[in-house]
Amino acid sequence: MTHHEETFPINVWINEERFAKLQAVKLGDLTQEVFAGLKVLRVPCTAEQRDKVLAVFPTAKFDSATTKSVEQLPRDVKDKIFDLVVEKASVDIMEEFLAGY
Amino acid sequence: MSLIGHGGKEIVERVMDPQEAVDKIRSLTQIPIRNQIAREVIMLSYGFFTPLEGFMTKADVDGVVESMRLASGVVWSIPIVFDMSSEEIAAKGIKEGDTLLLMSQNQPLATLDVEEIFEYDLKNMAAKIYGTDDEKHPGCARTYRYAGRFIGGKVTLVNPPRMNEPYDAFFLTPRQMRAKIAEKGWERCVAHQTRNVPHSGHEWLMKHSWIACHADQPVEKTTTGVVVSAVMGEKRKGDYIDEAIVLTHDALRKYGYFREDVHLTSIIMWDMRYAGPKEAIFHAIVRTNLGITHHMFGRDHAGVGSYYDPYDAHRIFDTISKDDLRITPIRVLEWWFCPVCGEVTYMGLCGHTKERQNFSGTVVRSIIQDGVKPPRIIFRPEVFDIILETAGKYGFGSAYVNDQYLAQRQPLFTVPPLEL
Ligand SMILES: [Zn+2]
Repeated sequence: MTHHEETFPINVWINEERFAKLQAVKLGDLTQEVFAGLKVLRVPCTAEQRDKVLAVFPTAKFDSATTKSVEQLPRDVKDKIFDLVVEKASVDIMEEFLAGY
Repeated sequence: MSLIGHGGKEIVERVMDPQEAVDKIRSLTQIPIRNQIAREVIMLSYGFFTPLEGFMTKADVDGVVESMRLASGVVWSIPIVFDMSSEEIAAKGIKEGDTLLLMSQNQPLATLDVEEIFEYDLKNMAAKIYGTDDEKHPGCARTYRYAGRFIGGKVTLVNPPRMNEPYDAFFLTPRQMRAKIAEKGWERCVAHQTRNVPHSGHEWLMKHSWIACHADQPVEKTTTGVVVSAVMGEKRKGDYIDEAIVLTHDALRKYGYFREDVHLTSIIMWDMRYAGPKEAIFHAIVRTNLGITHHMFGRDHAGVGSYYDPYDAHRIFDTISKDDLRITPIRVLEWWFCPVCGEVTYMGLCGHTKERQNFSGTVVRSIIQDGVKPPRIIFRPEVFDIILETAGKYGFGSAYVNDQYLAQRQPLFTVPPLEL
Protein backbone atom coordinates (compact mmCIF):
# COMPACT_ATOMS: atom_id res chain seq x y z
CA MET A 1 0.00 0.00 0.00
CA THR A 2 1.32 3.44 -0.84
CA HIS A 3 0.91 6.39 1.48
CA HIS A 4 -0.54 8.65 -1.21
CA GLU A 5 -4.04 7.28 -1.08
CA GLU A 6 -6.45 8.24 1.67
CA THR A 7 -6.09 6.14 4.79
CA PHE A 8 -8.31 5.52 7.78
CA PRO A 9 -5.80 5.09 10.56
CA ILE A 10 -5.94 3.26 13.86
CA ASN A 11 -4.30 5.47 16.49
CA VAL A 12 -2.02 3.57 18.84
CA TRP A 13 -0.81 5.40 21.96
CA ILE A 14 2.92 5.39 22.44
CA ASN A 15 4.37 5.94 25.88
CA GLU A 16 8.06 5.78 26.74
CA GLU A 17 8.10 2.02 26.99
CA ARG A 18 6.52 1.55 23.57
CA PHE A 19 8.62 4.32 22.05
CA ALA A 20 11.78 2.45 23.00
CA LYS A 21 10.48 -0.64 21.18
CA LEU A 22 9.67 1.41 18.07
CA GLN A 23 13.08 3.07 18.11
CA ALA A 24 14.72 -0.33 18.26
CA VAL A 25 13.12 -1.18 14.89
CA LYS A 26 13.75 2.32 13.52
CA LEU A 27 10.09 3.40 13.55
CA GLY A 28 10.45 6.09 16.20
CA ASP A 29 10.20 8.85 13.58
CA LEU A 30 6.75 7.74 12.52
CA THR A 31 5.20 8.79 15.81
CA GLN A 32 3.68 12.19 16.46
CA GLU A 33 3.76 13.96 19.80
CA VAL A 34 0.23 14.55 21.08
CA PHE A 35 0.29 15.48 24.72
CA ALA A 36 3.07 16.10 27.23
CA GLY A 37 5.40 13.57 25.63
CA LEU A 38 2.70 11.02 24.91
CA LYS A 39 2.87 10.07 21.25
CA VAL A 40 0.60 8.44 18.74
CA LEU A 41 1.42 5.99 15.96
CA ARG A 42 -1.05 6.02 13.11
CA VAL A 43 -1.42 2.55 11.61
CA PRO A 44 -2.99 3.06 8.19
CA CYS A 45 -6.00 1.13 6.89
CA THR A 46 -7.47 1.22 3.40
CA ALA A 47 -11.21 1.80 3.13
CA GLU A 48 -11.64 -1.93 2.66
CA GLN A 49 -9.51 -2.79 5.72
CA ARG A 50 -11.41 -0.22 7.78
CA ASP A 51 -14.71 -1.85 6.85
CA LYS A 52 -13.37 -5.26 7.82
CA VAL A 53 -12.13 -3.92 11.18
CA LEU A 54 -15.56 -2.45 11.88
CA ALA A 55 -17.22 -5.72 10.91
CA VAL A 56 -14.91 -7.95 12.95
CA PHE A 57 -14.85 -5.80 16.09
CA PRO A 58 -18.39 -4.59 16.79
CA THR A 59 -17.37 -2.03 19.45
CA ALA A 60 -15.21 -0.16 16.93
CA LYS A 61 -16.42 3.02 15.33
CA PHE A 62 -15.07 5.22 12.60
CA ASP A 63 -14.93 8.80 13.83
CA SER A 64 -15.54 10.71 10.63
CA ALA A 65 -16.30 14.00 12.39
CA THR A 66 -13.20 14.84 14.44
CA THR A 67 -10.29 12.40 14.48
CA LYS A 68 -11.00 10.65 11.17
CA SER A 69 -9.72 7.45 12.65
CA VAL A 70 -10.93 4.05 13.81
CA GLU A 71 -11.76 4.33 17.51
CA GLN A 72 -13.06 2.15 20.36
CA LEU A 73 -11.11 -0.95 19.42
CA PRO A 74 -10.65 -3.33 22.35
CA ARG A 75 -7.42 -2.88 24.23
CA ASP A 76 -6.04 -6.34 23.46
CA VAL A 77 -6.64 -5.81 19.75
CA LYS A 78 -4.62 -2.62 19.78
CA ASP A 79 -1.91 -4.34 21.78
CA LYS A 80 -1.72 -7.02 19.08
CA ILE A 81 -1.58 -4.40 16.34
CA PHE A 82 1.29 -2.68 18.12
CA ASP A 83 3.15 -5.95 18.64
CA LEU A 84 2.81 -6.80 14.95
CA VAL A 85 4.15 -3.37 13.95
CA VAL A 86 7.23 -4.02 16.07
CA GLU A 87 7.61 -7.57 14.80
CA LYS A 88 7.40 -6.52 11.16
CA ALA A 89 9.26 -3.23 11.71
CA SER A 90 6.55 -1.62 9.58
CA VAL A 91 3.17 0.09 10.00
CA ASP A 92 1.78 -1.57 6.88
CA ILE A 93 0.54 -4.61 8.72
CA MET A 94 -3.22 -4.44 8.59
CA GLU A 95 -3.57 -6.86 5.69
CA GLU A 96 -1.60 -9.47 7.58
CA PHE A 97 -3.35 -8.63 10.85
CA LEU A 98 -6.81 -9.02 9.33
CA ALA A 99 -5.91 -12.26 7.55
CA GLY A 100 -6.27 -13.97 10.91
CA TYR A 101 -9.92 -12.94 11.26
CA MET B 1 -18.09 23.36 66.05
CA SER B 2 -20.71 25.53 64.37
CA LEU B 3 -23.83 23.84 63.09
CA ILE B 4 -25.17 26.85 61.23
CA GLY B 5 -25.93 25.97 57.64
CA HIS B 6 -27.33 27.71 54.59
CA GLY B 7 -29.85 30.46 55.28
CA GLY B 8 -28.50 30.78 58.82
CA LYS B 9 -30.42 27.69 59.87
CA GLU B 10 -28.96 25.02 62.13
CA ILE B 11 -28.22 21.61 60.60
CA VAL B 12 -30.88 19.29 62.00
CA GLU B 13 -31.00 15.59 61.22
CA ARG B 14 -34.49 14.26 60.62
CA VAL B 15 -33.76 10.66 61.49
CA MET B 16 -35.75 8.30 63.72
CA ASP B 17 -34.58 5.14 65.38
CA PRO B 18 -36.04 2.31 63.24
CA GLN B 19 -37.30 0.30 66.23
CA GLU B 20 -39.09 3.35 67.62
CA ALA B 21 -40.45 4.17 64.18
CA VAL B 22 -41.99 0.76 63.53
CA ASP B 23 -45.20 1.37 65.48
CA LYS B 24 -45.74 4.76 63.89
CA ILE B 25 -45.19 3.66 60.30
CA ARG B 26 -46.86 0.21 60.27
CA SER B 27 -50.22 1.42 59.05
CA LEU B 28 -49.04 4.13 56.64
CA THR B 29 -49.70 3.98 52.91
CA GLN B 30 -46.58 2.60 51.24
CA ILE B 31 -45.18 4.40 48.21
CA PRO B 32 -42.30 2.84 46.28
CA ILE B 33 -39.87 5.54 45.17
CA ARG B 34 -37.27 5.61 42.41
CA ASN B 35 -33.56 5.83 43.20
CA GLN B 36 -33.24 9.55 42.52
CA ILE B 37 -35.97 10.32 45.06
CA ALA B 38 -34.39 7.92 47.57
CA ARG B 39 -31.08 9.76 47.26
CA GLU B 40 -32.81 13.11 47.78
CA VAL B 41 -34.73 11.78 50.78
CA ILE B 42 -31.44 10.76 52.38
CA MET B 43 -29.82 14.12 51.59
CA LEU B 44 -32.81 16.02 52.99
CA SER B 45 -32.91 13.94 56.17
CA TYR B 46 -29.26 14.52 57.05
CA GLY B 47 -29.45 18.25 56.39
CA PHE B 48 -27.44 18.45 53.15
CA PHE B 49 -30.26 20.61 51.78
CA THR B 50 -30.72 22.85 54.85
CA PRO B 51 -32.92 24.91 55.32
CA LEU B 52 -35.18 22.45 53.46
CA GLU B 53 -36.73 19.82 55.69
CA GLY B 54 -38.56 18.07 52.92
CA PHE B 55 -39.82 18.35 49.38
CA MET B 56 -40.86 21.83 48.29
CA THR B 57 -44.38 23.18 48.49
CA LYS B 58 -45.70 25.34 45.66
CA ALA B 59 -44.70 28.64 47.27
CA ASP B 60 -41.09 27.45 47.47
CA VAL B 61 -41.07 26.14 43.90
CA ASP B 62 -42.56 29.44 42.70
CA GLY B 63 -39.89 31.41 44.52
CA VAL B 64 -37.09 29.23 43.17
CA VAL B 65 -38.42 29.32 39.62
CA GLU B 66 -39.21 33.02 39.50
CA SER B 67 -36.56 34.62 41.70
CA MET B 68 -34.05 31.94 42.79
CA ARG B 69 -35.27 32.17 46.38
CA LEU B 70 -37.39 30.05 48.70
CA ALA B 71 -40.61 31.56 50.00
CA SER B 72 -38.63 32.53 53.12
CA GLY B 73 -36.29 34.64 50.98
CA VAL B 74 -33.32 32.27 51.31
CA VAL B 75 -31.36 31.82 48.05
CA TRP B 76 -32.15 28.51 46.34
CA SER B 77 -31.67 27.60 42.69
CA ILE B 78 -32.98 24.10 41.90
CA PRO B 79 -36.48 22.75 42.71
CA ILE B 80 -36.38 19.75 45.04
CA VAL B 81 -39.71 18.10 44.33
CA PHE B 82 -41.58 14.86 44.85
CA ASP B 83 -43.73 13.94 41.87
CA MET B 84 -46.63 11.53 41.62
CA SER B 85 -49.27 10.92 38.98
CA SER B 86 -52.81 12.09 39.71
CA GLU B 87 -53.92 8.47 39.00
CA GLU B 88 -51.67 7.12 41.78
CA ILE B 89 -52.81 9.86 44.16
CA ALA B 90 -56.45 8.99 43.46
CA ALA B 91 -55.90 5.21 43.56
CA LYS B 92 -54.17 5.40 46.91
CA GLY B 93 -56.54 8.03 48.25
CA ILE B 94 -53.73 10.36 49.21
CA LYS B 95 -54.80 13.72 50.62
CA GLU B 96 -53.23 16.67 52.38
CA GLY B 97 -52.57 15.90 56.03
CA ASP B 98 -51.65 12.25 55.36
CA THR B 99 -48.25 10.74 56.09
CA LEU B 100 -46.79 8.36 53.50
CA LEU B 101 -44.19 5.66 53.96
CA LEU B 102 -41.57 5.88 51.22
CA MET B 103 -40.23 2.47 50.22
CA SER B 104 -36.83 1.91 48.65
CA GLN B 105 -35.29 -1.48 47.79
CA ASN B 106 -38.62 -2.93 49.06
CA GLN B 107 -37.92 -1.64 52.56
CA PRO B 108 -39.29 1.35 54.49
CA LEU B 109 -36.92 4.29 54.10
CA ALA B 110 -38.65 7.47 55.24
CA THR B 111 -41.95 9.16 55.91
CA LEU B 112 -43.33 12.06 53.88
CA ASP B 113 -45.89 14.41 55.42
CA VAL B 114 -48.34 15.47 52.74
CA GLU B 115 -48.57 19.22 53.34
CA GLU B 116 -49.65 20.16 49.86
CA ILE B 117 -50.55 18.48 46.57
CA PHE B 118 -50.08 20.74 43.58
CA GLU B 119 -49.62 21.00 39.84
CA TYR B 120 -46.92 23.00 38.10
CA ASP B 121 -46.23 24.35 34.63
CA LEU B 122 -43.24 22.19 33.72
CA LYS B 123 -42.31 24.19 30.67
CA ASN B 124 -42.05 27.36 32.73
CA MET B 125 -40.07 25.51 35.41
CA ALA B 126 -37.60 24.20 32.84
CA ALA B 127 -37.25 27.51 31.01
CA LYS B 128 -36.58 29.53 34.16
CA ILE B 129 -34.22 27.05 35.82
CA TYR B 130 -32.26 25.94 32.78
CA GLY B 131 -32.54 29.04 30.61
CA THR B 132 -33.98 26.83 27.86
CA ASP B 133 -37.01 24.64 27.43
CA ASP B 134 -35.23 22.37 24.95
CA GLU B 135 -36.13 18.78 25.69
CA LYS B 136 -32.62 17.76 24.61
CA HIS B 137 -31.23 19.50 27.70
CA PRO B 138 -30.94 16.67 30.27
CA GLY B 139 -32.31 18.87 33.06
CA CYS B 140 -35.34 19.86 30.98
CA ALA B 141 -35.82 16.22 29.97
CA ARG B 142 -35.81 15.26 33.66
CA THR B 143 -38.36 18.01 34.37
CA TYR B 144 -40.63 16.80 31.56
CA ARG B 145 -40.51 13.26 32.97
CA TYR B 146 -42.13 14.37 36.24
CA ALA B 147 -45.54 12.84 36.81
CA GLY B 148 -48.42 15.33 36.79
CA ARG B 149 -48.59 16.30 40.47
CA PHE B 150 -46.17 17.25 43.22
CA ILE B 151 -46.35 16.53 46.94
CA GLY B 152 -44.71 19.05 49.23
CA GLY B 153 -43.88 18.21 52.82
CA LYS B 154 -41.31 17.19 55.40
CA VAL B 155 -39.43 13.90 55.23
CA THR B 156 -38.04 11.86 58.11
CA LEU B 157 -35.69 8.95 57.68
CA VAL B 158 -37.04 5.93 59.56
CA ASN B 159 -34.53 3.35 58.41
CA PRO B 160 -31.08 4.81 57.78
CA PRO B 161 -29.36 3.17 54.80
CA ARG B 162 -26.03 1.45 55.11
CA MET B 163 -23.40 2.69 52.66
CA ASN B 164 -21.72 -0.11 50.74
CA GLU B 165 -18.01 -0.59 50.25
CA PRO B 166 -16.10 1.40 49.01
CA TYR B 167 -18.46 4.35 49.54
CA ASP B 168 -18.79 3.78 53.29
CA ALA B 169 -15.34 5.31 53.80
CA PHE B 170 -16.29 8.51 51.97
CA PHE B 171 -19.89 9.33 52.91
CA LEU B 172 -20.00 12.03 55.57
CA THR B 173 -23.19 13.75 56.67
CA PRO B 174 -23.03 17.51 57.29
CA ARG B 175 -22.62 16.92 61.02
CA GLN B 176 -19.94 14.29 60.44
CA MET B 177 -18.12 16.48 57.91
CA ARG B 178 -18.12 19.42 60.31
CA ALA B 179 -16.69 17.20 63.04
CA LYS B 180 -14.03 15.93 60.60
CA ILE B 181 -13.07 19.46 59.56
CA ALA B 182 -12.75 20.46 63.22
CA GLU B 183 -10.65 17.37 63.95
CA LYS B 184 -8.31 18.28 61.09
CA GLY B 185 -7.93 21.78 62.47
CA TRP B 186 -9.03 23.40 59.23
CA GLU B 187 -10.18 26.97 59.58
CA ARG B 188 -10.82 27.08 55.86
CA CYS B 189 -11.38 24.42 53.27
CA VAL B 190 -12.29 24.39 49.61
CA ALA B 191 -14.68 22.03 47.86
CA HIS B 192 -13.69 20.40 44.60
CA GLN B 193 -16.81 19.14 42.88
CA THR B 194 -16.14 16.16 40.65
CA ARG B 195 -17.54 13.37 38.52
CA ASN B 196 -14.14 12.55 37.03
CA VAL B 197 -11.04 10.60 37.77
CA PRO B 198 -8.28 13.16 38.31
CA HIS B 199 -5.56 13.87 35.77
CA SER B 200 -2.97 16.41 36.80
CA GLY B 201 -5.07 19.25 35.33
CA HIS B 202 -7.66 18.46 38.01
CA GLU B 203 -4.91 18.10 40.58
CA TRP B 204 -3.75 21.62 39.77
CA LEU B 205 -7.27 22.99 40.01
CA MET B 206 -7.28 21.67 43.58
CA LYS B 207 -3.81 23.00 44.37
CA HIS B 208 -4.74 26.37 42.90
CA SER B 209 -7.91 26.58 44.95
CA TRP B 210 -6.09 25.45 48.10
CA ILE B 211 -3.52 28.21 47.68
CA ALA B 212 -6.20 30.80 46.93
CA CYS B 213 -8.26 29.64 49.89
CA HIS B 214 -5.29 29.66 52.26
CA ALA B 215 -4.41 33.20 51.16
CA ASP B 216 -3.07 35.34 54.02
CA GLN B 217 -3.24 32.73 56.78
CA PRO B 218 -0.07 31.76 58.66
CA VAL B 219 1.84 28.88 57.09
CA GLU B 220 3.57 27.01 59.92
CA LYS B 221 0.48 25.04 60.79
CA THR B 222 -2.01 23.42 58.42
CA THR B 223 -5.24 25.37 58.70
CA THR B 224 -6.58 24.84 55.19
CA GLY B 225 -7.83 21.74 53.43
CA VAL B 226 -9.15 20.48 50.11
CA VAL B 227 -12.41 18.55 50.26
CA VAL B 228 -13.06 16.49 47.17
CA SER B 229 -16.84 16.22 46.96
CA ALA B 230 -17.69 13.60 44.37
CA VAL B 231 -21.23 13.55 43.06
CA MET B 232 -22.81 10.11 42.93
CA GLY B 233 -26.13 9.75 41.20
CA GLU B 234 -27.75 8.35 38.13
CA LYS B 235 -25.09 7.10 35.74
CA ARG B 236 -25.09 7.30 31.99
CA LYS B 237 -23.21 5.07 29.61
CA GLY B 238 -19.67 6.37 29.15
CA ASP B 239 -19.45 8.09 32.58
CA TYR B 240 -16.63 7.01 34.86
CA ILE B 241 -17.78 4.30 37.26
CA ASP B 242 -18.38 5.69 40.76
CA GLU B 243 -15.81 3.41 42.40
CA ALA B 244 -13.05 4.69 40.10
CA ILE B 245 -13.95 8.32 40.88
CA VAL B 246 -13.69 8.05 44.67
CA LEU B 247 -10.76 5.66 44.84
CA THR B 248 -8.58 7.60 42.38
CA HIS B 249 -9.19 10.87 44.20
CA ASP B 250 -8.31 9.23 47.46
CA ALA B 251 -5.14 7.86 45.81
CA LEU B 252 -3.84 11.42 45.35
CA ARG B 253 -3.67 11.63 49.14
CA LYS B 254 -2.65 8.02 49.71
CA TYR B 255 0.36 8.39 47.41
CA GLY B 256 1.41 11.78 48.71
CA TYR B 257 0.41 14.11 45.86
CA PHE B 258 -1.55 15.83 48.60
CA ARG B 259 -0.40 15.67 52.17
CA GLU B 260 -2.45 13.58 54.54
CA ASP B 261 -3.34 16.67 56.59
CA VAL B 262 -4.67 18.79 53.70
CA HIS B 263 -6.86 16.46 51.68
CA LEU B 264 -10.13 14.61 52.20
CA THR B 265 -12.22 12.69 49.67
CA SER B 266 -15.97 12.57 50.24
CA ILE B 267 -19.18 11.90 48.34
CA ILE B 268 -22.62 13.38 48.10
CA MET B 269 -25.63 11.81 46.43
CA TRP B 270 -27.15 13.97 43.76
CA ASP B 271 -28.49 13.48 40.26
CA MET B 272 -26.89 16.16 38.14
CA ARG B 273 -29.33 18.57 36.51
CA TYR B 274 -26.64 20.20 34.31
CA ALA B 275 -28.12 23.59 35.15
CA GLY B 276 -24.76 25.37 34.74
CA PRO B 277 -24.84 28.59 36.80
CA LYS B 278 -27.96 27.60 38.78
CA GLU B 279 -26.39 24.28 39.60
CA ALA B 280 -23.21 26.06 40.71
CA ILE B 281 -25.30 27.92 43.30
CA PHE B 282 -26.89 24.65 44.37
CA HIS B 283 -23.48 22.97 44.76
CA ALA B 284 -22.33 25.95 46.81
CA ILE B 285 -25.36 25.57 49.11
CA VAL B 286 -24.78 21.86 49.71
CA ARG B 287 -21.09 22.43 50.50
CA THR B 288 -22.02 25.30 52.81
CA ASN B 289 -24.13 22.84 54.75
CA LEU B 290 -21.15 20.49 54.91
CA GLY B 291 -19.26 23.24 56.73
CA ILE B 292 -16.95 24.00 53.81
CA THR B 293 -15.84 27.64 53.56
CA HIS B 294 -14.80 27.94 49.89
CA HIS B 295 -15.87 26.35 46.61
CA MET B 296 -13.85 26.02 43.44
CA PHE B 297 -15.60 26.69 40.14
CA GLY B 298 -13.73 25.92 36.95
CA ARG B 299 -14.63 26.20 33.31
CA ASP B 300 -18.17 25.19 32.36
CA HIS B 301 -19.19 24.08 35.85
CA ALA B 302 -22.16 21.69 35.66
CA GLY B 303 -22.75 22.73 32.06
CA VAL B 304 -23.86 20.63 29.15
CA GLY B 305 -23.65 21.12 25.39
CA SER B 306 -23.50 24.80 24.52
CA TYR B 307 -26.41 25.99 26.65
CA TYR B 308 -24.17 28.11 28.91
CA ASP B 309 -21.12 30.26 28.46
CA PRO B 310 -18.13 28.50 30.05
CA TYR B 311 -17.95 31.19 32.74
CA ASP B 312 -21.67 31.80 33.42
CA ALA B 313 -21.21 29.73 36.58
CA HIS B 314 -18.59 32.25 37.75
CA ARG B 315 -20.64 35.34 36.95
CA ILE B 316 -23.78 34.25 38.76
CA PHE B 317 -21.96 34.72 42.08
CA ASP B 318 -21.67 38.44 41.29
CA THR B 319 -25.45 38.64 41.65
CA ILE B 320 -25.54 37.18 45.17
CA SER B 321 -24.51 39.01 48.30
CA LYS B 322 -22.21 37.51 50.91
CA ASP B 323 -25.08 37.63 53.38
CA ASP B 324 -27.08 35.30 51.15
CA LEU B 325 -24.38 32.70 50.65
CA ARG B 326 -21.80 31.92 53.31
CA ILE B 327 -19.37 30.03 51.07
CA THR B 328 -16.76 31.93 49.03
CA PRO B 329 -16.42 31.02 45.36
CA ILE B 330 -12.92 30.49 44.00
CA ARG B 331 -13.00 31.08 40.28
CA VAL B 332 -10.44 29.30 38.18
CA LEU B 333 -9.65 29.29 34.46
CA GLU B 334 -8.05 26.28 32.76
CA TRP B 335 -4.85 24.44 33.51
CA TRP B 336 -3.01 22.97 30.52
CA PHE B 337 0.25 21.36 29.54
CA CYS B 338 2.74 23.74 27.91
CA PRO B 339 5.71 22.16 26.10
CA VAL B 340 7.58 25.49 26.20
CA CYS B 341 7.17 25.93 29.95
CA GLY B 342 7.72 22.16 30.21
CA GLU B 343 5.00 21.80 32.78
CA VAL B 344 1.33 21.83 33.58
CA THR B 345 0.54 25.51 33.86
CA TYR B 346 -2.30 27.99 34.08
CA MET B 347 -4.12 29.82 31.36
CA GLY B 348 -3.93 32.96 33.48
CA LEU B 349 -0.11 32.76 33.58
CA CYS B 350 1.35 30.97 30.56
CA GLY B 351 1.74 33.08 27.42
CA HIS B 352 2.32 30.18 25.01
CA THR B 353 -1.27 30.01 23.86
CA LYS B 354 -0.28 28.66 20.44
CA GLU B 355 1.87 25.85 21.79
CA ARG B 356 -0.33 24.84 24.70
CA GLN B 357 -1.81 21.33 24.86
CA ASN B 358 -5.22 21.09 26.53
CA PHE B 359 -6.28 18.19 28.68
CA SER B 360 -8.80 16.69 26.32
CA GLY B 361 -11.45 14.39 27.72
CA THR B 362 -11.45 12.38 24.50
CA VAL B 363 -7.69 11.86 24.61
CA VAL B 364 -7.69 10.91 28.30
CA ARG B 365 -10.53 8.46 27.70
CA SER B 366 -8.74 6.88 24.79
CA ILE B 367 -5.51 6.49 26.79
CA ILE B 368 -7.39 4.84 29.64
CA GLN B 369 -9.26 2.51 27.31
CA ASP B 370 -5.99 1.38 25.79
CA GLY B 371 -4.33 0.99 29.20
CA VAL B 372 -1.19 2.77 27.99
CA LYS B 373 0.32 4.48 31.01
CA PRO B 374 0.78 8.18 30.21
CA PRO B 375 3.68 10.40 31.38
CA ARG B 376 3.41 11.08 35.13
CA ILE B 377 3.32 14.82 34.55
CA ILE B 378 -0.19 14.49 33.12
CA PHE B 379 -1.41 11.37 34.91
CA ARG B 380 -0.15 9.92 38.15
CA PRO B 381 0.87 6.28 37.68
CA GLU B 382 -0.85 5.17 40.89
CA VAL B 383 -4.06 6.85 39.76
CA PHE B 384 -3.80 5.10 36.42
CA ASP B 385 -3.24 1.73 38.11
CA ILE B 386 -6.30 2.25 40.30
CA ILE B 387 -8.45 3.08 37.29
CA LEU B 388 -7.51 -0.23 35.68
CA GLU B 389 -7.90 -2.06 39.00
CA THR B 390 -11.37 -0.64 39.71
CA ALA B 391 -12.38 -1.39 36.10
CA GLY B 392 -11.63 -5.04 36.82
CA LYS B 393 -13.00 -5.17 40.33
CA TYR B 394 -16.19 -3.11 39.96
CA GLY B 395 -16.64 -2.14 36.31
CA PHE B 396 -16.91 -5.48 34.51
CA GLY B 397 -13.62 -4.73 32.79
CA SER B 398 -14.33 -1.08 32.00
CA ALA B 399 -13.61 2.14 33.87
CA TYR B 400 -16.59 3.56 31.98
CA VAL B 401 -20.20 2.76 32.64
CA ASN B 402 -21.55 0.12 30.28
CA ASP B 403 -24.83 -1.82 30.10
CA GLN B 404 -23.56 -4.48 32.46
CA TYR B 405 -22.55 -1.91 35.07
CA LEU B 406 -25.93 -0.21 34.80
CA ALA B 407 -27.72 -3.52 35.32
CA GLN B 408 -25.50 -5.20 37.90
CA ARG B 409 -23.46 -2.58 39.71
CA GLN B 410 -23.33 -2.64 43.44
CA PRO B 411 -25.66 0.08 44.76
CA LEU B 412 -24.27 3.00 46.75
CA PHE B 413 -26.27 1.95 49.80
CA THR B 414 -28.43 -0.82 51.13
CA VAL B 415 -31.68 -0.14 52.95
CA PRO B 416 -31.62 -2.66 55.80
CA PRO B 417 -34.57 -5.04 56.25
CA LEU B 418 -37.18 -3.62 58.64
CA GLU B 419 -40.15 -5.77 59.66
CA LEU B 420 -43.35 -3.87 60.13
ZN1 LIG C 1 4.03 28.16 28.57
